[in-house]
Amino acid sequence: MRDAMTLLNVNDIIWPALNGELAWNILQKNFESSLIPCLIVLDLNMPKMNGTQTLSKIKNDNRFKEIPVIIYSTSINPLEKEKCILLGAHSYITKPVSFEESIETARIFLQFCQKLLA
Amino acid sequence: MTMHELARVTLDNDMDLILVHKRCMKLGELGGLSLSAQTTFATAVSEISRNALESEKGGCLILNVETDGRDKYLVACLKDKQFNHKRFSQGLEYAKRLVNKYNVSEINGETNIELFYNISPPFRIDVAKVEEWRNMFRAEVPISPYEELKRKNEQLLNLSEKVQTSEAQYRALTNSLPMIIFSLDMKGHLLYANEWLTKYTGETIDSLNGSGWKAVVHENDYESFYHLLKNPVTKGSTTIKTQARLKHKNGEEFLWHQISISPFINDTEEEIQYWIGYIVDIHTQKVFEETLKDNAELKRTQDQLKENQQTLEKYIEELNRSNYELQQFAFVASHDLQEPVRKLLFYSDYLLKTYTNSIDQKGFEYLGSMHTASKRMRTLIQDLLTFSRINKEEIRFKPIDLNTVAKEALQDLEISIEEKGARINIQSLPVIISDQGMMRQLFGNIIHNSIKYSKPANAPVIDITCQQKDNFLELSFSDNGIGFNEQYLPQMFTLFQRLHDRQSYEGTGLGLAICRKIAEIHGGKIWAQAKEGEGATFFVSLPMNQSAN
Repeated sequence: MRDAMTLLNVNDIIWPALNGELAWNILQKNFESSLIPCLIVLDLNMPKMNGTQTLSKIKNDNRFKEIPVIIYSTSINPLEKEKCILLGAHSYITKPVSFEESIETARIFLQFCQKLLA
Repeated sequence: MTMHELARVTLDNDMDLILVHKRCMKLGELGGLSLSAQTTFATAVSEISRNALESEKGGCLILNVETDGRDKYLVACLKDKQFNHKRFSQGLEYAKRLVNKYNVSEINGETNIELFYNISPPFRIDVAKVEEWRNMFRAEVPISPYEELKRKNEQLLNLSEKVQTSEAQYRALTNSLPMIIFSLDMKGHLLYANEWLTKYTGETIDSLNGSGWKAVVHENDYESFYHLLKNPVTKGSTTIKTQARLKHKNGEEFLWHQISISPFINDTEEEIQYWIGYIVDIHTQKVFEETLKDNAELKRTQDQLKENQQTLEKYIEELNRSNYELQQFAFVASHDLQEPVRKLLFYSDYLLKTYTNSIDQKGFEYLGSMHTASKRMRTLIQDLLTFSRINKEEIRFKPIDLNTVAKEALQDLEISIEEKGARINIQSLPVIISDQGMMRQLFGNIIHNSIKYSKPANAPVIDITCQQKDNFLELSFSDNGIGFNEQYLPQMFTLFQRLHDRQSYEGTGLGLAICRKIAEIHGGKIWAQAKEGEGATFFVSLPMNQSAN
């Protein structure tokens, strides 16, 4: 995905995190510098703090709850999907399986942010 | 006043007068009277005795000695059952003058005449003396064969009286016991029975002997009962018992009784004289026993049931656990398996697309087959996931318009339909209660199957028709494809079964298995008809309404 973003020349606007816990740390650290992301892309299956836990934490914090969260996972069962929507996820995108798809996905994320900023 | 009886003489005929005289003389002698005094006393007693003899019933003379007080008397007491003063007047008048005092009384229509003759013996008359006199009278040598006979007769009468009293006592005793007591002769005939026999059975000894107890004993118990009654059991045997139901005279009800008979053997004789027995009501006990037995059986059944239930619960628990594990497996398949496959797919694609110049032809081919294999694996995992998600918990029944479902399925297959130029004719379909997603999958899989196995030369034509049979909708999907040999039918709807190699026809072997699972979970079924080279028809029968399911 980072490669795809690089191809679109927008790599520097991404803060990647390996798991939910790290994502949370990054969010808090940047908040101190008054930096708030315009979009959070969240995988579900992560070590330490998984997707739904992270989602719930974000949506229960007044500082971050307005940030749209897109669930980004390989597959999702209907129950989990329902849970994510209830927790306040914006939408859901299946991980790409081809190069073209990955470019397409990256473009969607970018457009989403641009629309928000406009 | 205490009178001690010493002897008695019944007055039956003239001969008895001699006996009276003799006894009185003897009593006088014992009392120490002179011979003339003895004669006087004996004469007085004889006088009244003669009068008594004239009565038809006769009387009885009792000789006593009275020892109380200062004066001692010989007392002759005459008891006469017929009261007749006239008869006595003459003899009594005479006798009165011969004795010291007399007494005439009437008690219960019986005349009692007592003559007192004073004695003053030179010895004490105590209990021992009285007993000595009694023995003397008893041992008196009979004066004549008549006296001998009379004495024996008296003894017999006495005995018979005692026997009668004793018998009456026993009868009262046996009647007071709440059981039937009886005796039987050697042929099994009743000789005696207490009144309970009649009270309970309503029959008499004679009627029972006549009918052989047939009306009284329950027919199922009759044989053993009759056997006990009739079978001559020889000596040396002891008590024999049996149980039988006997009918009460007041109704149709038979109550359980215990019948016991024992041989009666006289001490002196070895042979069995007769049988004595009793019949006692054991109905309550028997019913209680039966109830206990029933209860025990019930308890056993209950225990068995409990055990079965526990086993069942154990199985259910195991099944639930196994189901849970399967669901977990589906979850694992959805994430942990899919992600690595996705990565394989993604990076092989990435390499194929962006590293075109740095990989040689050979490497490109290897990468290509790796990419194809990853794609197949992804489809396989997704199909498995679909299959595992078709279960009772996931199903959502709603009225579903099958026309919409068919349209959606065609949309899903748009690419392959266009690719093959397939024509699909769909008859107007009804609304049935079912799960929309599953129906879409079912239609999609069958249509996809037909398109996939079409003849290379012919564009596929699929006709979807339906007809209602009772509460079931029978859908048929007919194609003009390659068909198949019906001998493979049984395998076709099971997991991973494929009739063709992957090179000729793509697929995971799960499509029809998924269709079967969907049909079955709806309470329906799926089957097919085909001939090799002549197309195939798949039938799906589904209930119109799930409430009947």
